[in-house]
This record gives sequence, structure tokens and C-alpha cells, in this order.
Amino acid sequence: MVDAARHPKIDVRTYTQVERVEGFVGNFKVQLREKARYVIADRCNGCGDCAKVCPIEVPNRFELDLAPRKAAYVAMSQSVPLLYTIDQEACIHCYKCVEACGALDAIDFSQEDKIVWEDIGAIVVATGFNHFDPSVIPEYGYNQYPNVITAMEMERLNNSAGPTVGNLIRPSDGENPKRLAIINCVGSRDKRFNPWCSNFCCMYAIKNAVLLKQMYPEIELSIYYIDIRTPSKGYEEFYERAREMGIKFIQGRPSLITEDKKSHNLFVHSEDITLGLVTEYEYDMVMLNQAAVPQPDVDSVSSVLNIQQSPGGWFMEYHPKLRPLDTPTDGIFIAGACQGPKDIPASVASGSATASRAGRILHSDEWEIEPIIAQVWEDRCVSADGKKCGICAKACPYNAITVEVGTAAQVTTAKCHGCGGCVAECPHNAITQLHYTDAQILAQIRALLADKPEEKIFAFRCHWCSYGGADMAGTSHFEYSANERGVRVMCSARMDTDFIYEAYRLGAGAVLYSGCHPQDCHYITGQLVGASRAERLQKIFDKMGMSPGRFRIEWISAAEGQKYANVIDEMQQTIDEIGKEKLLAEIESMKPEMEKRARRMYEVPDVTDASDYSDKMKIAMTLEVVDIGK
Amino acid sequence: MSESPNPEELRIGVYVCHCGTNIAGVIPPDEVAEWASHLPGVVHAADTLYACADSGQTLIKNDIKKYNLNRVVVSACSVRMHEATFRGAVSEAGLNPFLMEMANIREQCTWAHGHDKEGALKKAKDLTAAAIAKARFLAPLEMITVPVTKRAMVIGGGVAGISTALDLADQGIETILVEKEPTIGGVMAQLNKTFPTMDCSI
Ligand SMILES: Cc1cc2nc3c(=O)[nH]c(=O)nc-3n(C[C@H](O)[C@H](O)[C@H](O)COP(=O)(O)OP(=O)(O)OC[C@H]3O[C@@H](n4cnc5c(N)ncnc54)[C@H](O)[C@@H]3O)c2cc1C
Ligand code: SF4
Ligand code: SF4
Ligand code: SF4
Repeated sequence: MVDAARHPKIDVRTYTQVERVEGFVGNFKVQLREKARYVIADRCNGCGDCAKVCPIEVPNRFELDLAPRKAAYVAMSQSVPLLYTIDQEACIHCYKCVEACGALDAIDFSQEDKIVWEDIGAIVVATGFNHFDPSVIPEYGYNQYPNVITAMEMERLNNSAGPTVGNLIRPSDGENPKRLAIINCVGSRDKRFNPWCSNFCCMYAIKNAVLLKQMYPEIELSIYYIDIRTPSKGYEEFYERAREMGIKFIQGRPSLITEDKKSHNLFVHSEDITLGLVTEYEYDMVMLNQAAVPQPDVDSVSSVLNIQQSPGGWFMEYHPKLRPLDTPTDGIFIAGACQGPKDIPASVASGSATASRAGRILHSDEWEIEPIIAQVWEDRCVSADGKKCGICAKACPYNAITVEVGTAAQVTTAKCHGCGGCVAECPHNAITQLHYTDAQILAQIRALLADKPEEKIFAFRCHWCSYGGADMAGTSHFEYSANERGVRVMCSARMDTDFIYEAYRLGAGAVLYSGCHPQDCHYITGQLVGASRAERLQKIFDKMGMSPGRFRIEWISAAEGQKYANVIDEMQQTIDEIGKEKLLAEIESMKPEMEKRARRMYEVPDVTDASDYSDKMKIAMTLEVVDIGK
Repeated sequence: MSESPNPEELRIGVYVCHCGTNIAGVIPPDEVAEWASHLPGVVHAADTLYACADSGQTLIKNDIKKYNLNRVVVSACSVRMHEATFRGAVSEAGLNPFLMEMANIREQCTWAHGHDKEGALKKAKDLTAAAIAKARFLAPLEMITVPVTKRAMVIGGGVAGISTALDLADQGIETILVEKEPTIGGVMAQLNKTFPTMDCSI
């Protein structure tokens, strides 16, 4: 900790939050809110005179409310930086602290939050984890029985820097416990709460047992467990040592804890699987190894930084095997337990690894990004003819398009992230997206619907989420109907109405319009553009009398493989229920309308040539390198 | 973008991967390749045991020269897995990397339809055909280069964030470490002695 604060290249900004992130790899702009501490950093020498005179006491969250702190406080004596903070919520403005600070004059009640912008090349997110609140499991009696404590409370109680100076005492009477039960997997590996294994609690259960045994050789210690998980180097040996020290391991998940009202002793009711018995043992104290859970503000952090979440709310890696610390956004990485429970060695290793991932970028003078950006066909843009339009600019989440009447819309290359929203929104087909042109996408649709289209479930998927969800379905071997056929675009914003009409014109049995959940969108608001278009389409199809379910809108994250498989299977069921004859009749009757609606795109250069895939090649193509107008 | 049709002949090479038994255990890749070889624009189609392995990449690179290919379609796994690999391979053989297109016949086909071999085969053919169809319209593109601000930001000052910041700073990179609490340290600062070394945590 101190090393970080002393390092000349590290600028530690505590009491600070990230509010906005703009830009792209190598060129992020980050907005920070430096919260007012009411203490001037360069003047405070950490003497603590203010805290001594402060009359207000509130529970110290750092001590898990086991000890008080003042309204003028540091979280702990080893705080880095050692800089006092005045808690405005608790402060009664008696100004005794100002007096006590005296000549140093470090307290300034007129301070306000400061908003600063920083230019940043790469970002590492290491926001950590939170602790499951065991009071939601009523049968364990946490918050009802004073001698049931959490593992975090234990860490403070047997800590020489903690509120009891390392003397482990029972909250009910201040006595040292003689019999302690440690219960594993509290809120972990439990479908009612969190399905995951919290990774480090088996080890800290053993750690605390070993430490307590060394401190109080007479203490009886029992660890209740489902499985003991000690896979890292040296961990199994550590477990073995604990057994040799006489620590008892009871295999079973306790079903109930009861209390003797007078002594406040506790009875742990549990099966002992090894002995095949139902047991009820008495203890002086019980420690609950609460699950590691995501931070409570994980949703807002994900949306500010554009990071997706795995099931449960952990930050999701771009690829679990090949890019385990990257996020889908180039230049943003994840380290430590924010990705999922990790112990200290694993957290440090991932921290070092992300420093190397980020270093690749930060040591380069230039970085390459994919040229899959929007391009305007100037002669087709009506703005160039003096008409008011600008629909494209409204769709763009990045303000990358400027439209002035009299000239064609202009895309600023460096600002365009390539969602394709403007391309699909332009009513005049005056914009294309490189590598995801109308012609390219239509050629795919036509190839996929060439044979028995009425049997097909045609899925439009966005690159980051629903295509990832389809991958996840496969990776997890969740099987679904093999009649699914899909194309991938970068964002649901790119899913042009024309593509949907064309799929139906060609006779598709059903069409899925799928992208990310709104909060996961890789392009800030691209999904909103896609979603409102999809809803418009739904209304049109309803009006046309399309059978319900033949058009379906679903938001599927890259983690939701099961959902992807279920949606496809439900759509298969829908077309099965309609029946082939009725389906074919419906497709046929709607064809003229679909053709009329899809017609617009036949005006696009290149597209007519994509019309008949099985036809002899007569395609328009260019082998010149495309000038992307940098 | 040039709109004028340039009738240069299309020469597409198609590679259908076995991925060991991941793909070949469900569908016959050689049959997909044989079928693809008759599609318009395709001048050569082959199956390969592991397209991503050195041998597979070498095959593609050699074929680009041998058959004078100007488009490559790799029918294998997810773009999220190996698009960068195959873009790299074709560009080593002198082809613009954006003239390579993938079909995902593993995650989105054989792994998802393992018990419907017939359905999976039809789908693998269609997915390969769609990639070929798109390949016919691919245009070569140049990467965009952007400048890099040589400053890092680490968000969260727990043990992970501190390690990241120290390693970046030791590489000479100016680093801002942002922590929402009044002190850095995270959960580790609250702990007693820590395993595996059992030393004090701070
Ligand atoms: C009871 C218990 C005992 C343990 N004992 C051990 C042990 O003995 N050995 C061991 O190896 N591991 C142990 N662990 C695990 C250890 O705590 C974790 O491995 C470690 O804390 C993970 O570090 P981290 O930096 O990823 O996350 P954290 O420690 O959670 O740190 C995250 C930091 O980010 C900050 N932050 C969060 N959100 C934001 C935001 N939006 N903006 C800015 N800052 C933010 C937080 O305030 C915090 O400072 C134990 C865990 C528990 C619960
Ligand atoms: S590490 Fe052990 S105690 Fe923690 S959830 Fe996993 S199995 Fe349960
Ligand atoms: S939406 Fe299309 S026509 Fe309208 S200004 Fe934009 S590019 Fe021009
Ligand atoms: S809408 Fe999307 S594709 Fe169009 S300019 Fe904006 S970022 Fe680029």
C-alpha cells in the first residue's frame, strides 16, 4: 500500500469516483469526481488532533461496526494516504476540529466535490467484491444471536490491530470462546442465494482455525463443510497440517442453529455425512463464512465502463481461455476479484497480467483499430441536395456525424465506433458500414434461406452479446433446433428493417431480432436504436396479421447460452404449431407486401448483384484498398 | 468506396476444419468441403484437421500462392476465438486481412446440435455458403491507426489494483489509482494474517 503511494509514477486519488468514460483505446477521457473531504490534503499531517476533540461517534464500517469512529476520522491507523476526512453526514458543525488543528489550518468546510477530466490510454478495473449478508438465512440466526459472527468480523476480532487488540471474545459476555464452529459455504453453492463457490473461504476457514489454535491451544474447533477446496500450491498441505493440529472437520451443511437464551451458547444441527449421523453439538461461538458477492454498484460501474457481466454480476472477460483479462472494449481490462472470487495470490497475478496487457498499448506510439466504420455515399444523401434530414446524426451514440444542409453528412472517422445504427436508420440508404455492407449481409441472408426457408428460424445477432450467447449455448452443449440460421452484425442498431423484410420475402419461417440488454450495449445507446426499430417492426407485422411468435425480439447476453437455446426451441415450437400448410400460405400472402417494403434496398449499389446467390457470378467488387477518409 | 464494378475474377479458397473430433465427430468436414468447391467463386476447397494449428495455417498460406486466391473462407469456430489468427495468416501470405471470412460451424453448429447429425450437416453447409456469399463482397480495408496517450488509470485500490498500478508504474507508465474509499487497501487491509504465507496483510 505504502509503496503505491510513494511511487513517483503513481498518483493515488482516494475518495474519488469514476463518473464517465468516453473515447476509445489509447484515447479515453475519464471524468472523476473527487469527493470533498473537508480536509486540505497538503496541509493535513495525520496527527489526528481533530478526531481527538470531535464529540461525535458513529460505527466504523472498516471495523464492521464492531468499534466506533469519530466524524473526523481515518478508517484505520495504517490508512494510505494518512489523511483525515470529515464525515458530513455525522458532523454537527461544532468546529472543535478547526480549533484543534490550529496553525496547520488543514480543515476547510467550504470544500466542494471536484470534477476533473483525465486523458488516459488504457484502463484497468479492479473494483473487487462484497460480502454476502447472512442474516437473509434465518436458520443461522445472524443478527439474532450475539455469538454468531461473520468471517469478516472474525478477521477484525482476532486481529492485533482490531477493536479488541486481537483478543477473541464472545460479543454476549466478553469471554474467550472454548468451542468454536466455523461454517463454510454460507450463501455459496446454494441455489437459493449464489450458485458459485466463493473460492477462498475453505482456505480462510483453515487459516483462522490454525491461528486460533496457536493463540488458544485449548480451544475446540470444528469446521462444517460440503467439500474442502484446496487446489492451489501448498494449500492441501496446509489443510493436512490443520487436521494434524486436531481441528475437527465435519462434512455436512448445518440446517439450523439454535441458542440457549441464558448462556447464549449455540447448538449447530447438522448431518455428519462421514458418520452417517444427524448431530447437534454445542458451541460458544459460531463463525459464518459468508459468500463473496459482486459489489452493490456493479451495474452502474458496468454501464460507465461498458463491461458485461457474467451470471450473478461478476465482470465478464472477453474470452475465458484466450483473453481472460480483456473486456470486449479494447483498452479496458479487469483484474482481481471483480471478475469472480479470487484469493490474494490470484488477485496479484491478475493485476500483474493486466499491467502487461495494458503495457502493450501504453508502450506503443500508435494503436490499430478495426476500420469497420460508417461511410456516406455523398450523392445519395439528401442533405447534399439542400433538404433537411440528419436522421443519421440522431442515431449516433458518439456524435460522430455532422449534418449541415447543403452538404452531405460527414462521419468523423476517429469518433465512429462502428455500431452501424446510422446505416440502418438512413431512409435513403446513403450510408454503408465497411465490412458490414448491405450487400454483404444480404448475400448471407440469401445463402442461408436458399433451401426450404419456411423451416428456418432466422436469427439476427449482435457481435458482443447475442452472438456470444449463441457461442455460449454451444460451449455449454445446450442443444437447440438445427433449423436456426443466423447472421452477425456489430450491434442491433445495424439490423436494418430491409434485412428483416428480405428474410420474410425469401420465406423465412420465423425471425429473431436479438441483441444485448440495454445496460450491456457496447455502443452506449445503440441497443435503444435497435430496440425501437424492432418494436416498430412488431407493430407492422401485427397489423399485417402475422402469426404471433413468427417475429420475436429478445435481448440475450453473452453469458445467456441457455436463454439462446430456449428461445430458438420455442420459436421452433411456434412454427411447428402453426403447421406447414398454414405457414406457407401466410408466407406467400405476405410476400408482395414484404417485397414492396424491402424494395428500397435494391437501389443500393452492389445489392442487386447479391440478389441471386446461386446465379453465375456477376458481382461488383473492388480490389482497391478502400480510402476510409482519415 | 468505389462503386464501379470491377469484374476481376473471384478466387475463393475454403477450409473446413475438423477441430479434432469437435467438428468431425458430428459432421464429415470433407463432405462440406467437396460441396463448397462447387459454389460460385470457389476455386479450391479442402478439409483440415486443425485449421488454427501451424499445419493448417501453412496450408492456407501456401494455397493462397498456389491457387492465386483472393478470398479465404475458414469454416471452423467462433470469430471470437480465431478471427485474429486467420486474419494474421492470410496477411502473412500477402492477402488483405479483411478478405478472410469465417463460418462458425463449431460453437454454433456441431456443439449445439450434437444429437442431430443430419441437421448439423445441413446447417454447416449453409453457414459455409453464407460465408462464401459474404466473401464475394468483401473489400480490402486498412486498419485505422490512432495515437496513444501514455497514461494508465486503475480503478479500485485493493490488492489487485495496487499490484497493477505498481507494475505499470515500474514500467515507467504514469498511473492514476482511483479509490472510492478514503484509503486504499480494499478487503485485504481488513484481514488478519493471510494464507498462504500467514504474514500480516498490509
Ligand atoms: C474473511 C476473508 C478472509 C480472507 N482471507 C484471505 C487470506 O488469508 N488469503 C488470501 O489470499 N485471500 C484472503 N481473502 C480474499 C481476499 O480478500 C481477496 O483475494 C482480495 O481482497 C481481492 O482483492 P481485490 O483487489 O480484487 O478486491 P478488494 O479487496 O475488494 O478491493 C477492491 C477495491 O476497489 C475499491 N472500489 C470498489 N468499487 C470502486 C469504484 N467504483 N471506484 C473506485 N474504487 C472502487 C474498493 O473500495 C476496494 O478498495 C479473504 C477474504 C475474506 C472475505
Ligand atoms: S471455497 Fe469452500 S467454503 Fe467457500 S464456497 Fe467454495 S467450497 Fe464453500
Ligand atoms: S440520414 Fe442519410 S440522407 Fe439523412 S443526412 Fe444522414 S446520410 Fe444524409
Ligand atoms: S451511428 Fe454508429 S456507425 Fe454511424 S457514425 Fe455513429 S458510431 Fe459510426
